[in-house]
Amino acid sequence: MDKIARIDMGAAGGPKVTVGDLGEYAGLGGRAMTSLVVAAEVHPLAHALGAENKLVISPGMLSGTTGSMTGRLSVGCKSPLTGTIKESNAGGQAAQVLARLGYAAVILEGKPVGDDLYKIVINKDGIKVIVDNSLKMMDNYLLVAKLRQEFGDKVAYMTIGSAGERKLLAASIACTDPELRPTRHCGRGGVGAVMGAKRVKAIILDDAGMKMRPAKDLDKFRDANRLFVEGLRKHPVTGEGLPAYGTNVLTNVLNEAGGYPTNNFKSGQFAGSSKISGEAQAELEIKRGGSATHGCHRGCVIQCSGIYNDKDGKYLTKQPEYETVWSHGGHCGIDDLDTIAQLDRIDDNIGVDTIEMGVTIGIAMDAGLIEFGDKAGAIRLMEEVQKGTPLGRVLGSGAGITGKVFGVERVPVVKNQALPAYDPRAVQGIGVTYATTTQGADHTAGYAIATNILKVGGDVDPLKTEGQIELSRNLQIATAAIDSTGMCLFIAFAILDQPETFQALLDMLGSFYGITMTGDDVVALGKKVLSAERDFNTRAGFTKHDDRLPRFFYNEPIAPHNQTFLMKDEELDEVFNW
Amino acid sequence: MSQTIAAQPPGIPDLKNFTAQLDVGQLSSFFPIFQKGVTVPAIVGCTLKSFLCEQMAIPTDYVTERITTIFLDNRPVDDLDRTIIQEGSRVTLSAAMPGLVGATMRRGGFYAALRQGISHASDSGATEGTSGTVRLKLFNLLLAELGPLVLLRGLILERNELDELLHILSKLPDNAPDGVEKIFLSVSFSGVTT
Ligand code: SF4
Repeated sequence: MDKIARIDMGAAGGPKVTVGDLGEYAGLGGRAMTSLVVAAEVHPLAHALGAENKLVISPGMLSGTTGSMTGRLSVGCKSPLTGTIKESNAGGQAAQVLARLGYAAVILEGKPVGDDLYKIVINKDGIKVIVDNSLKMMDNYLLVAKLRQEFGDKVAYMTIGSAGERKLLAASIACTDPELRPTRHCGRGGVGAVMGAKRVKAIILDDAGMKMRPAKDLDKFRDANRLFVEGLRKHPVTGEGLPAYGTNVLTNVLNEAGGYPTNNFKSGQFAGSSKISGEAQAELEIKRGGSATHGCHRGCVIQCSGIYNDKDGKYLTKQPEYETVWSHGGHCGIDDLDTIAQLDRIDDNIGVDTIEMGVTIGIAMDAGLIEFGDKAGAIRLMEEVQKGTPLGRVLGSGAGITGKVFGVERVPVVKNQALPAYDPRAVQGIGVTYATTTQGADHTAGYAIATNILKVGGDVDPLKTEGQIELSRNLQIATAAIDSTGMCLFIAFAILDQPETFQALLDMLGSFYGITMTGDDVVALGKKVLSAERDFNTRAGFTKHDDRLPRFFYNEPIAPHNQTFLMKDEELDEVFNW
Repeated sequence: MSQTIAAQPPGIPDLKNFTAQLDVGQLSSFFPIFQKGVTVPAIVGCTLKSFLCEQMAIPTDYVTERITTIFLDNRPVDDLDRTIIQEGSRVTLSAAMPGLVGATMRRGGFYAALRQGISHASDSGATEGTSGTVRLKLFNLLLAELGPLVLLRGLILERNELDELLHILSKLPDNAPDGVEKIFLSVSFSGVTT
């Protein structure tokens, strides 16, 4: 990963590719790369769909190596949904292939004048940008099937569906999994709309003839990776819970805690939760000949995903994740796994964020367009999005806009991005992160990473409110750093609980780059990324008043705990004081 | 299913007792009702630790290391020795969960501060135990691991719960016998040691 490709889609005479060295971005990957490039190079007041915005695609620092769990891809830009800086990441094969091709980043710049649609082919011989108007308005499954006829099965595809072409604010970028299904999405923040605005329909990544990236200290890297994998395998979450049930194992637990937002955040418990739990889902998947254990990219040892077949045993979609099952399930009062799986399939196909779309459908239900629990109605609304009808375009523009258009007061968004599946009135500390993250409400912005080992900001007294502020800060710092490595965030538990597994991760990074990596270095990296992101947002006009939850969280107590969000504004303002 | 004369569960007046021996392949048929919750006999007024380790006979190591997430009446529990179960208490047991919220819910976990406000507050001292019932839920890995033990010890099923079960279990009548509104059911599985 010693080069950066810049593709000026708006160059006179057609798209122009320039490949240069890393310069000031040397040593960066993933979120560190995308955020530092966007912060330095994109005008903060740029229109997110205009020529001034850039779409930065970057594999993680360890992607393309033999290291396990290293296949996360970051995509960054100014978000059309939030107006903030955005990093959205996904699994799939793209990061590994792009890293092996030697690119630390591919940056789409400018915007073509005409109506032509492009595909970009990146292989060992270089980069070609080709007009292909036959791909217009194709959705992801058909699109990938068509591209496979031309480019075969030994490549990775990044694509947008019709939602991205229509520049809908919920549009995602799909990355294909090892079976070449377009199921792994950079979902959050409308990154697919930015790719659509640049008229890029597909990026084909072909690493034929390329080798794994070699570590500076091969032996040490191999040993560290072995210890890291052992650590993941022996931990009950990464070695048992996630492989058996996937992330949807959280449904029962969140429901029990009264933190499972139901019927558009009206209650913290859903009567149908056990019907759509990870436990029920895994059993159904196995019964129908699918699988409850599947990796989204090669080299994943946790394998939190799965294969969901329909009633006839035919592939329908990948195993919907917890957030998807919630957004299309409990949030909409739907307790049927088959309906949720169909909605997940439609989301992946047209290329939209499952959280944003599910939350939006729930708001449409609250507005009275359809009833809560109306399974056929939910599918019908998604079909409107697919067809691009005026109603579909409103819905595809996300929860905030849909709430405004239909006059709904209870709209769960921060910085216009829909909240994920945890009610901040029950789990107050999560609300701190939702409110203050640079990304708009995002559950992955503060993940359970080894903050106890990192001791960012010292020890925390769990009985004091300040503890929540401090924990959220530490989590956001640690997450920003891990997002830069290309490591899947689900490694979190093993490195949280097992210091030797965390050390193995540091040793992997250190031996790969030939440096000594300490916890302090991780903290410094995380702070650098967050500072750049905060700075961009400030220049884009965001203030502390944007770091707040919607008022209904302060005013409407939620059952069963009958609690409101209690964190004071002044406390929230302390999160980024370091 | 064969009706047998089994010891009457404590505090349960005149319930019809059924015992059944099933093939281990049928264990998962009980998972849906475990996730919704089943009523089990218990000595109430005692600590959660004593309920799990002494009454349910779950080994202490297993409780400490495997059952990392416990709720009492929807509140995450941190201290088993200072949590008292009462008549009708809802006790939910789960293995470790992923994600920040999973870590947050964990008993005595590093991130417990993030759920301030819904955590179960410590109770003061156990009272003399009396016979009663507790509503028990099992989630995730614990379904298969603790299910046989809970079933062997016995459940109190309302008629609708029994009917739901009989519909799923094979080689048994589809419905409970007429006139039966509530039963005490104990199940063992061939080839399973609890
Ligand atoms: S744990 Fe899940 S999300 Fe992470 S890399 Fe593996 S399959 Fe993908």
